[in-house]
Amino acid sequence: MGKTFAPLWKSLGRGIRALVSRPEYVVALIVVPLVAVWFFDSLLSRGVTTRVPVAIVDLDQSEMSRAITRNLDVQQVLDITAKCESYEAAIDLVRQGKIFGFFTIPDNFEQDVFAGNNPTLNFYSNLTYFVPGTYSYKGFKAIAVATASSVIRDMAVSRGVPESVLEPLVQPVSLQINQINNPWANYAYYLGPSFTYGTLQLMILLLTIFSITMEIKDGTSPQWLRTGGNSILVSLTGKLLPQTVIFTIVGWAVMAVQFGFNHYPMNGSLAIMLIAMALTVVACQSLGVFYASLLPNPRLALSLGALTGILAFSLAGFSFPVQNMYGGIAIFSYILPVRYLFLTYIGVALNGVDPYYVRYDLIALVLFIPVGLSMVWNLKRMCKHPVYIP
Amino acid sequence: MAIAFAAEWRIVLKDAGVLIFFIALPIAYPIVYTLVYNPEVLEKMPVVVVDNSRTAESRDLVRKIGATPAIEIYDYVPSLQEAKHLVDANEVFGILEISSDYAKEIGRGETGHVTFYCDMALMLRFRTFAFSLTEVQIAEIGSITADRISMLGAESLYTGMPVNSESYMLGDPQQGFASFVMPGIVVLILQQSMVLGAVMIMGTARQRRRRNHGFDPLMPVNSPAYAIVWGKALCYTIFYITPALFALHFIPSIFNLPHVGSAVQYLLFALPFLLASAFFGITLGAVARDRESAFMLIVITSVVFLFLSGLTWPRYAMPDAWQIVGDFIPATWAVEGFIQINSNNAVLSDVITNYYWLWGLAAAYSILGALSEKWLRVSHGV
Repeated sequence: MGKTFAPLWKSLGRGIRALVSRPEYVVALIVVPLVAVWFFDSLLSRGVTTRVPVAIVDLDQSEMSRAITRNLDVQQVLDITAKCESYEAAIDLVRQGKIFGFFTIPDNFEQDVFAGNNPTLNFYSNLTYFVPGTYSYKGFKAIAVATASSVIRDMAVSRGVPESVLEPLVQPVSLQINQINNPWANYAYYLGPSFTYGTLQLMILLLTIFSITMEIKDGTSPQWLRTGGNSILVSLTGKLLPQTVIFTIVGWAVMAVQFGFNHYPMNGSLAIMLIAMALTVVACQSLGVFYASLLPNPRLALSLGALTGILAFSLAGFSFPVQNMYGGIAIFSYILPVRYLFLTYIGVALNGVDPYYVRYDLIALVLFIPVGLSMVWNLKRMCKHPVYIP
Repeated sequence: MAIAFAAEWRIVLKDAGVLIFFIALPIAYPIVYTLVYNPEVLEKMPVVVVDNSRTAESRDLVRKIGATPAIEIYDYVPSLQEAKHLVDANEVFGILEISSDYAKEIGRGETGHVTFYCDMALMLRFRTFAFSLTEVQIAEIGSITADRISMLGAESLYTGMPVNSESYMLGDPQQGFASFVMPGIVVLILQQSMVLGAVMIMGTARQRRRRNHGFDPLMPVNSPAYAIVWGKALCYTIFYITPALFALHFIPSIFNLPHVGSAVQYLLFALPFLLASAFFGITLGAVARDRESAFMLIVITSVVFLFLSGLTWPRYAMPDAWQIVGDFIPATWAVEGFIQINSNNAVLSDVITNYYWLWGLAAAYSILGALSEKWLRVSHGV
């Protein structure tokens, strides 16, 4: 029994020793993922409470226009940092990146309102920056609508319309938007996990490929294969299992930080999330093995790994949904392990659904293993006679 | 310096790995990214309706909501419970619930209640739903309120709403995703591909030094460190004229992205950016022990620099420490400056702060780069 497993023990020993042989390993295994979780979480720590810097262009300078300005300034999402004399002055501030939108009150606004001339309030949002642009639009729109309502209200009151009909008069349809499980529409809930998971995937892919193909570059691959009793599967297990263990622990630590300390939503089963993380680690390693077997050359395989890992941040549909991508592009999102981890996070952690609804995501992660192993014969062939192409 | 320039030029042209970073990457990545985001806006997102009112009024409202480009009515179901299952199974992304008294309330001059339950799996979907629903709601309010005012008897002062409002989306009128994200991404791709290539060149040079008693046989041996790094940086900058033209000019033109800025403005602006990126890459190159180190150490910084640039999460909402770190990345200033020139028709004087910062960073990293070259020589004992 001991003898049968001897190559495995030896390979594992070799794999563990290799991890301390180069600084790249420690950086990729531990430093980058943990720094990433700290980076993203501290970057996003101020949350959505920060107000958008905007400007007001008040050409009317009346009692009514000053009231509108005050209303804008008390809006939760807006911060009036500048008062401009003209549209041109305001647009200059937009171009300088100092403000992300401005609200204009036209000349003679108050008079036109009382004269029944239906004046128009124009507002401008800089949509080249989505988050601030959107918030400024939201704040401006709310005030524009509220201004119209208050004018109607004043008019009605002055005509003796009873108080009880006032509210329905200006608000005949109430549309309440309930944001399921994220009532404050906190953007950090998406950016934080998706980018830390994406970082993990990238580092696992790169490290798996790096550690395998470096054997070929250094010409040590025949020895690596021999240590594993000439079995590529034993050799791979010896090399990658120590990495699996460390990456899984690091992944769980990332989740502990996010769900434990930073209070990201956890409305479902934590156990499922931890399992999904472990499966993702193995799935990413499998994909890495697949790339290294397909192109047993460090530079080319790492290029492919980097391409996959970096594009994953866009392709996995964390920001722009896969359902709305072109079909030919969208299919690539299904070869990314991190997509399934993110879907599990959204389903289980954010929405608290029954694990039944994420079953396919978990199965998909498991399916990466056979795919990853499907080309190892080619890797074995190359390992026997290593050729390094720079 | 001229000798270093010529030597570096030969190294670049002979290295397939570097050429991939310097040519293939800045050409292929912008195309792939644009293809990912090019559908621009979300259309026909399925919504399920729980219509407890079942009246002409409620059906009319559903019809108006279904007529917006963003929303498609998936089905009617009798209860919220059933609708919830459809959300859990990702069949629909929202539930529209109309209260049983909706028509009665509208008819009696009261407030009719509608609730939209929005699946928050993705921020962009929520944003699009909220925009579309608010527009429908405001239109409904406008027409019903106008009716009610006229029914108040007293000949009303107003026809329709007393105050109109008009919103304008600067820089990205269609609110498209590619239009918003690509002008920033292309700048980041230019910096990162150049840094990757520079680091790979330095890692490869380290391997050569190890084999040749500390000397790099492909580079002039007697030149001072500053001459070497200037030669390298000028080589990369000149090499990048074509990729920069492609990424900054042709990508927005081909894909119909916002592109209103003047070419003179953004090409002038790109000059210190390319130079700063080159020196930045040379400085970072000191960490590369091997040819392949670039992958392990630099690739991940693309994500970090993307964030620091403020493209996804605004800079003013970051803790000050991260804003300061971002200040020292050339792409941070270049992304913002190029977006303003490209999408909002800014001129150099509008983004002069960014322009000066880029020249400053080029100067600072040229000194750091020379120091890292010196350090490399010392650490190899030459």
